[in-house]
Amino acid sequence: MKTEKIVELSFLCAIGIVLQILESFLPTSWIIPGFKIGFANITALFVLKMYGIQSMWLVSAMRVFLASLLQGTLFSVSFWLSASGAFLALCAMSIGYKTGWFSILGISVLGAAFHSIGQVLMVTWIYQQFFMQLFLPVLLALSIVSGLCIGALSQLMMNRWKGRKSI
Amino acid sequence: MKLTKADRILIVILMLISLSSLFFLLGHTTQANRADVYVKEEKVLSIDLNQDGQYSVEGTNGKVNIEVKDHAVRVTQENSPHHLCSKQGFVSDSNVPIVCLPNETVIQIEGDTKEDTVIQ
Repeated sequence: MKTEKIVELSFLCAIGIVLQILESFLPTSWIIPGFKIGFANITALFVLKMYGIQSMWLVSAMRVFLASLLQGTLFSVSFWLSASGAFLALCAMSIGYKTGWFSILGISVLGAAFHSIGQVLMVTWIYQQFFMQLFLPVLLALSIVSGLCIGALSQLMMNRWKGRKSI
Repeated sequence: MKLTKADRILIVILMLISLSSLFFLLGHTTQANRADVYVKEEKVLSIDLNQDGQYSVEGTNGKVNIEVKDHAVRVTQENSPHHLCSKQGFVSDSNVPIVCLPNETVIQIEGDTKEDTVIQ
C-alpha cells in the first residue's frame, strides 16, 4: 500500500468516526430503537467506489472499532450490535458491488437493510428476547429511505470529487 | 444518479418483506401469556393463559376459584361480603389486575412486551 493511499484512507476513516459519534447525539433511537440514519456509511460507500472492496472493509472495521473506543463502549452490548450490523452490511455491500447490478443507491439500501437485520439478530441472540423483531418491519421500511438518502449524498460527494486529483 | 433495474427490484422486495413480516408478527406477539396469583403479597400460582383451565388458591376466607378461558382470566367463586372480584368478570389486560381484598388475593396478568432494554 502506498503512503498516499494510507493517508487518504485514514483521513476517510477519521471522517467516518466523527460522523458516527455525531450521529449518536441525534435522538433517533429514542423514537424507534435501533434506528440510525447511517451517516458513517457515506465514507464506506465513498471508499468502495474509489478504492474497492478491501479498502472499504479496512476503513469500516477501523471506524467501528475506533468510534466505540472513543465513545467508551468498546466490547459492550452496543459495540457488538454495531459490529454485527456493520459486518452483515459490509458483506451485503461487497456482494452487491461484485455483481455489478446495483448503482450506488442500491448498494446503500442493501447496506442499510442488512445493518438492521444484523442488529436485530444480535439483539435477539444477546437478550434472548423477541420484542426487537417487532421493529424489524419498521426498520426495514425506514432503511429503504435512509439508504436512498445516504446513497444520494455519497453520489453528490463523488461528483464533487471528480474535478480533483484522482486518487 | 439513476436507479438501475436491480435497485428497483431490491427496494420492492424489501418493502414486501417488511409488509409481510409486519402482518406475520402482529398476529403473534401482542397477547399476554401468564397470570400471577398473589396471596398476602406472596406469589402462590403462575397460570399459563394459553391453556384453558380451572385453578384454586387458598385465600384468607377460604378457597378462591379461578377460571382461564380464551387468554382471559376471572374469579368464579370466592368468600367475601360483596363478591366484587367475581363480578369483575374476565380480564385480559395487564394493566387491570383482579383484586380480592377480603381474601387478600391479587391476580396480575404479565405481558412479555415490557421494554426493559434500551438500544443505541
